[in-house]
Amino acid sequence: MDNPEASGSSRTPQISPTSWRHPANRIHRFIALLLMCFLCFGSYFCYDTPGALVDNFKDDTHLTTSQFTLLYSIYSWPNVILCFIGGYLVDRYFGVRLGTVIYMTIVFIGAVIFASGVYINTYWLMILGRFVFGIGGESLQVVVNNYVVLWFKGKELNMVFGLQLSFSRFGSTVNFWIMEPIYRWIGNYYIGYERLGVTLFIASMTCFVSLLCGIILGWMDYRAEKILNRQEESMNEEPFHLKDIMHFRSEFWLISVIAVVYYLALFPFIALGKLFFERKFDFSPQDANTVNSMVYLLSAALSPFFGILIDKTGRNVTWVIISIVLTLCGHFLMAFTFFNPYIGVILLGISYSLLSSGLWPLVALIVPESQLGTAYGICQAVQNMGLAVVIIAAGVIVDKYGYLMLEMFFLGCLFISLIAAVFIYIIDSANNGILNMSPNMRESTKSQRRVDGVGETANLLENEDFTDQEETDSRVQEEKQPSVAPRDSALVQSDRIRSRYLAQILPNTNIPERQ
Amino acid sequence: MNFLILLLSSAISIVCGQDRVITAKLNPGCAECTSANTLVYIKADSSKDSIHQLWDFTGGIPTVVFALTELNSTMQVKWDRQVPVKFLLSETPKYCFAIAIDKLYEYNDVEDKGHISPQCEQRPMSLKYMSWTLVDSVLSDKEVMVRVHGQYKHSWRAGVVDVKLDLIPFYDYAAELPRLIHTANSTLVDVGLVNITTSKDYNSSRFALHMLLVSTDGWGETMHYTMRKSLDDEHTPGVFEIIEIKTPESYVKDDGGYIQFRPVGYTEPKREVSSSTSVRVSPLKKSAVPERSTLERFFRDFETESLLVQDVFVSIGLTGDQFYRQHNFTSWSFTMGYGSPPLETFSLFVIMIISIGLGVPLLLALSGVVYVVISRIRQRNSNQPTRFTDEE
Repeated sequence: MDNPEASGSSRTPQISPTSWRHPANRIHRFIALLLMCFLCFGSYFCYDTPGALVDNFKDDTHLTTSQFTLLYSIYSWPNVILCFIGGYLVDRYFGVRLGTVIYMTIVFIGAVIFASGVYINTYWLMILGRFVFGIGGESLQVVVNNYVVLWFKGKELNMVFGLQLSFSRFGSTVNFWIMEPIYRWIGNYYIGYERLGVTLFIASMTCFVSLLCGIILGWMDYRAEKILNRQEESMNEEPFHLKDIMHFRSEFWLISVIAVVYYLALFPFIALGKLFFERKFDFSPQDANTVNSMVYLLSAALSPFFGILIDKTGRNVTWVIISIVLTLCGHFLMAFTFFNPYIGVILLGISYSLLSSGLWPLVALIVPESQLGTAYGICQAVQNMGLAVVIIAAGVIVDKYGYLMLEMFFLGCLFISLIAAVFIYIIDSANNGILNMSPNMRESTKSQRRVDGVGETANLLENEDFTDQEETDSRVQEEKQPSVAPRDSALVQSDRIRSRYLAQILPNTNIPERQ
Repeated sequence: MNFLILLLSSAISIVCGQDRVITAKLNPGCAECTSANTLVYIKADSSKDSIHQLWDFTGGIPTVVFALTELNSTMQVKWDRQVPVKFLLSETPKYCFAIAIDKLYEYNDVEDKGHISPQCEQRPMSLKYMSWTLVDSVLSDKEVMVRVHGQYKHSWRAGVVDVKLDLIPFYDYAAELPRLIHTANSTLVDVGLVNITTSKDYNSSRFALHMLLVSTDGWGETMHYTMRKSLDDEHTPGVFEIIEIKTPESYVKDDGGYIQFRPVGYTEPKREVSSSTSVRVSPLKKSAVPERSTLERFFRDFETESLLVQDVFVSIGLTGDQFYRQHNFTSWSFTMGYGSPPLETFSLFVIMIISIGLGVPLLLALSGVVYVVISRIRQRNSNQPTRFTDEE
């Protein structure tokens, strides 16, 4: 088990690890990465179709503003519970592969129902479509997170999370670019709501493409599992029970807190930002839109790089704290100065992508693999709940108390997330500090543990083992030399960490006993 | 932290409006007046001086006059039946400032700009011929308020001009949007144009107010338009600008007249952010006091060179708002006063949130750092020799 090459090649002697068809090969994994990115593309693309066609929606289907906004909130509200259930179902019953295909199918069906609803101009059918679409969409995100961890846990995880994020932003952006031209083109053949319906049918095809990606990815994963002998690993694990949630470590709950409150200071701000820039900074509507879109644009561009940065440097918690502080500065500038809002918004964009690249992989370091679906599901669910409630509340705050108060609210949210992050830092460094280690330190902790075969610390990291094997696997050929030196010194380091861990934190064992 | 200290100190250093003792009378000395005649006289005494205010609707043109005198001076109004013909002050006032809304302009905003310009077709409606009815009034020593409705009796134009004047003699924010600041030295003025018939030949009708500003600053000078931006839109959500028109005396020495407002109007009687629209004022121009008006009678004894009279258009509306006919309602508020215009401050609520929000995390972060450092040091001390191999 400690020698991945041996285990891999002994089972499938016909594929050499250097071949691109071997799951541990870089090219092979790159293809998987592309598929994962496209997996979410469809749902993000279709999520924003009403937004991109808002004028046409009002003209063609004569929806009122509140009916229109319901198209969005019907997506969010059910997910307050559903993506938690969705994640749990993946952990307990479906597994990642089947789960992906099921949720992607639901997303596709939802998109088609919605398009049909528009095509025959029946409001309840539109709502039903968006509802079904929502059931699939958020749970899909949960499984895709699982996939990412499954394939990339180790040194590339942060980068892949970053790339994932930028791809989802890319999906929305592309949607805003091309829906209008498609709508105009369809105008040659159809008119009125039928024209809109056909446009949406075409948009739903992106979901179909994503579904195909999901099926191919499922096949690749099945193959990888056989070749890399992953099956045994997961068989070893006890099935996950819902009550195990109670044993999630406190760091996880603090991460959930950040996942909720940090994003509260961001998404509602973007939703209400346009008018804020017009009112406070005298921007024209066009310019205000440009400033407002900077956040997503920056995050699309920067996320992969920040991912790489965090992959190289580790120390996720420090990065999370830094990005929260940067966000605070951004909001502070916009609330209390008349400086050009580009400064503030660029700060927001940078810190948002830095945070996303640093925060989400933390979950994988804390929660065992068999519970990842549920864990990401919980994060996503509470985030949805927070957003659903707060977007409404933010509107009320603006109307009743003004933008300064709204900014105060955002600052308050950020302070809470800062406190949570500081707590994570404290708790983590009081334990063995795995979350805030550099990659070398993490690795050495692991290798040390392998040598010792000790159970207590294993809880934290055991699930990294096989993906890490893949990692070493792929690097063995070209990177053998450099990895030796750091390990030696790191070994000493890990000794210390271990002893500190045992000395201080023995009582802290509210981790599921699984070994 | 410096910022906080700055905030707190500025909040503390702001001097609240100096309170005055007020006495108010409706149509003082008029024997034949009815509810169709409204002239309110208010005397507001501080420890040093008195401000005499006249709110007059008897001459058709809504007029507010401020006259600053020494303490213990008096004013008498001489009436000719229902018309005030003379205002007798027991001493020459040190300073006077007056405002009158003498005309409404209906203009055809074909280009949908939202404000009046000389290129627009326009039709002035003099308020001189408007009859004003007292609808509501409060005359106490805590508050003086009148609300009057103006209508054209013999005109094809129906509709009401609704004017409310309010004096609350201490520093606070008004209860209603745009929540302007009132002080003992200022009066709140709300103007509403309700269901006014628009001209048939204009299909993009909007209305603008034509205002006259008169002060005893001297004919050769000019009033100053200033626009400030505040960080705080807590009281007027979404509006960061504060506009002031100051008389030369107020501009230079802070003891002249001013008007202060936020560039926001409303298109529905219930004032809300969703019903807000924008307000724009034209550049100030030299003008003259209208003949046979209350203004003329009040300033009769002043020499022409000693009077500064300027006019200004106030347009209410926004590009794309479907013009006046969309809501058949437009309203706007301003305060006029004497002295330095009140400054808005961060409310206690804002200051508290900032200090808690900044203080608690800082404290936590600091104690966290201290905790980590201490535990590290302890660790090092307990495992001396191997500790310094730290590569990271």
